[in-house]
Amino acid sequence: MAAVIEVTALAKTWGGRPLLRIPQLVLEAGSSYVLSGDNGAGKSTLLRILAGLEPAQVERFAFEGNLLQLDRLPAPVRRQIGFVHQHPYMFSSSALANVEYGLRVRGMPRNGRARLAQEALAWAGMAELADAPALRLSGGEQQRVALARVKVLSPRVYLLDEPTANLDADGRRRVIDLIAQLASADKVVVIACHDQEMINLPGVVRLHLENGSLS
Amino acid sequence: MDLLDTSREAFRLLFSGDPTLWGIVWVSIKVSVLALILAGPLAVAVGFVLAHVAFPGRRLLVILVQAFQSFPTVVVGLLLYLLLSRQGPLGALHLLFTQPAMIFGQMVIAFPVLAAYTLTAVQGADPRAHETAASLGAGRVRAAMTTLWEVRFGVMAAVFMGFGRIISEIGCSLMVGGNIAGLTRNIPTAIALETSKGEFAQGVALGIVLIVLALAVNVALAAVQGQGGMRQAWQP
Repeated sequence: MAAVIEVTALAKTWGGRPLLRIPQLVLEAGSSYVLSGDNGAGKSTLLRILAGLEPAQVERFAFEGNLLQLDRLPAPVRRQIGFVHQHPYMFSSSALANVEYGLRVRGMPRNGRARLAQEALAWAGMAELADAPALRLSGGEQQRVALARVKVLSPRVYLLDEPTANLDADGRRRVIDLIAQLASADKVVVIACHDQEMINLPGVVRLHLENGSLS
Repeated sequence: MDLLDTSREAFRLLFSGDPTLWGIVWVSIKVSVLALILAGPLAVAVGFVLAHVAFPGRRLLVILVQAFQSFPTVVVGLLLYLLLSRQGPLGALHLLFTQPAMIFGQMVIAFPVLAAYTLTAVQGADPRAHETAASLGAGRVRAAMTTLWEVRFGVMAAVFMGFGRIISEIGCSLMVGGNIAGLTRNIPTAIALETSKGEFAQGVALGIVLIVLALAVNVALAAVQGQGGMRQAWQP
């Protein structure tokens, strides 16, 4: 399997205290990873570092074999990494406009992006709520809009931070089903979670974060 | 002329469409709106940068912007007068006692108000707004515009506060405008100077217009702030 992301000697300190110390992390195409660990173990921080949202010391970072600076990822690489926040932020517009956002900043014309966004919302089971104000949606619905908002950009890497936290049983079920569909031969999916059901999903690579290192 | 007669005459001027009176109102609105349009984009950008970007000296700049909100307008007028007067460094431009001079003065007065209120609005923005924009592929400027759009009610409040500050200021308009009839005479200068010449009815009529403008701005501000309270606070 081809390595999409390779990180060597990643270190992160928080308030002078070491939080993460990871000698090596290789994320391969076609694999899904479940990142578990206690609250405060640094799961979110690790995902945020990989998404380029948080600075860290990294000796070597390669994306699809190209050596890069993590804190200065070129736009085309940054756009290959999709990140979904634990509590996704909804722009104060319709669900559809939220999903269109990434296409709009890529300069896609209105017609094309509306069609793609509609398809992504339909995939997430949210077609009927396309015109609803995103802020009025339930937590589960917002999480699905957030997944559609990233999927429509078809990034190479999905980084999902606690996607099922704070959702009711039905919302959780739907989100887990959607996440299972994100995985494919050329994608990398990394999910930080506590959710036992997801941790035990067949075929996922389990990573456990404890005392700052992966096992 | 007693108060009743004065008021009656004032309303007659207002509702008969008296060209002198409405000309003065027009000068006020034109000068203040242009000052806002010209100062707005840069002031909002400065407010955003001060709220969002960490750099050495940021703290001092924030304090300065906040302090300059209450800078006496007559001193702004005095400094501008010295710059624009015939012997001043910009005397060759012949801008003293013109509308552009008044507009520039009001830009200087509005700038810190616009920047300080934008700063507060952006500080109150959810940090995930910028992050989400960036992680969906927006560049720096695009992500900043998205954040400002998300706190648009706060930014609109900044504009209304700026308008409220300059529409009623007299010090600078008088110093660099000179209260020239039909040219640089605006509502505050007309009220102050025409009343002293015995033009009570015009003063009262203009006072009514100014109060209505101020009330309208405050009502708009309250409406805008009511809208802005809709997003529920995010708790991590």
